Amino acid sequence: MRYRDFDDMLKNKADSLPDHAALRYGEKTWTFRELYEAVCRKAEEYRASGKTCLGILADGSPDCVISLFGAAKAGLQLVMLDAALPDEAYPPLLAYTDVDILWGDPDLTEELAPHLGKGVTDGAGKVLFFTSGTTSRSKAVELTQHSLCQSAWNGSSLLPLSEDDTLLCLLPLGHVFGFVCGLLWGLSCGAAVALGRGPRHYADDCLYYRPTAVSVVPLLLGFLLKASALDPELKLILIGAGDCPDAILRAAKMTGARVAFGYGLTETSSGVALSLEDDPFAMTVCPDDTVTLAEDGEILIRVPTCVMQGYYKRPDDTAAVLKDGVLYTGDLGRFDENGLLHVTGRKKDILVLSDGTKLYLPEYEGQLSAALGNPELAVVLKEGRPVLICQDTAGEDADPSEKKAAVLKALAPLMKSLPRGQQITDVVFSASPLPRTATGKIKRYELGALL
Amino acid sequence: MDRTEIIEKIKTTINDCFPDMDAKSLEENSVINTETSIDSMGFVLIICKLEAFFDIRIPERQWQKLSTLGDVADAIEKRLPKA
Repeated sequence: MRYRDFDDMLKNKADSLPDHAALRYGEKTWTFRELYEAVCRKAEEYRASGKTCLGILADGSPDCVISLFGAAKAGLQLVMLDAALPDEAYPPLLAYTDVDILWGDPDLTEELAPHLGKGVTDGAGKVLFFTSGTTSRSKAVELTQHSLCQSAWNGSSLLPLSEDDTLLCLLPLGHVFGFVCGLLWGLSCGAAVALGRGPRHYADDCLYYRPTAVSVVPLLLGFLLKASALDPELKLILIGAGDCPDAILRAAKMTGARVAFGYGLTETSSGVALSLEDDPFAMTVCPDDTVTLAEDGEILIRVPTCVMQGYYKRPDDTAAVLKDGVLYTGDLGRFDENGLLHVTGRKKDILVLSDGTKLYLPEYEGQLSAALGNPELAVVLKEGRPVLICQDTAGEDADPSEKKAAVLKALAPLMKSLPRGQQITDVVFSASPLPRTATGKIKRYELGALL
Repeated sequence: MDRTEIIEKIKTTINDCFPDMDAKSLEENSVINTETSIDSMGFVLIICKLEAFFDIRIPERQWQKLSTLGDVADAIEKRLPKA
């Protein structure tokens, strides 16, 4: 069923499934009626506060879920923030998005209080997610409760859950894939959503809650498989937000669960296409989406129900990717003989890491160049993690381990300011300048040979 | 338990979690992420095992700040009962 907004969804479920489990967290369960009542109470609190824009340091707890739904019902703009960012990353994000009230870790919210903004006048219905990248220039993608609910419907029309299902939500709600496929997907289908109890329980949440479905990013799936942490009763594993190595996919299938792979973007409120058959990389386009390919193979998406309103306060950035209602994704793809979509690569200078976050290379490499005083460098992915390739300026006679240590030492202050998954994990030296096109762009496809 | 023993326990834990790795050569200022190729999930695993061994709890918000072996030792040492 399609819902207008979060309140429409929750009220409908509270009316139709009042005593059915909606949220589970540890030993505690909220029925849909209890959840909706808690959300209504929270909405009253936010209305009384007079605030207009809530920043949520989304830790995925029940309080977090109830607060975000309550604030949404009260007409506040929501700004979903990754709770795992370094502290110094938040002030510019709060100022940029006009957050005037915060939800999250009490110590951190107190620390950030001086950085709160002035609020908004037209935030009702809006939900902002940051495209994950280096933090200082992150863009907030302006979505709406409506577009997120449509996205949940769009995905569940291909991959429905039933009221008998339990969806395990392990992913951060500050990322749109986690929000839609870890939370809204379950609630909108009337399934129970079991909220993960935090990173220290990654290895036992699945056996504890005994879910029938889970949505994961490749890095987390690899961890769960390695730790034998997937319950044998698990029926469905939805993988998204990053390329998944074959070995992990094969291991996932060995569990006996159905393994589906999803392709989507923050700009489309999550899912665009899902794999439904054996080949996880051959994806059926979701019913609301119209996908075409540009002459160079770039995936173009028209999805009026789910597409972003734009990048928050960045009209030029919006105009560069959203033209006449068509989103230029920067991803390359092809359709196979059965009309199924395959994502084949990336046109933009972006790396998608195995934890689902993205690195914007021009900006990131600029920071690395500044830190090292060496403009001849590039970042590539090795097993889903960033590796630095740079021209050797110390000479071939210098000790390789000392050269590497010197580079890492010079980068240490910058690395400390980045999320762990975005930190450089290895350094490879090139005796010659990096291969470039006639216009000076790095030939990234040739860099793999240097690893 | 003194700091040297804590450092040794961290190295042993890294080796237990990642048997292919030679953690003995790590030093206090070794950056765990960049000098061991342990990914963020591996780091979670190590911290959880150390928390269980030392019977302490390091707030998740602090995990991001633990960069070097020495940082992890500091976080543990700070939370151990004083002798």
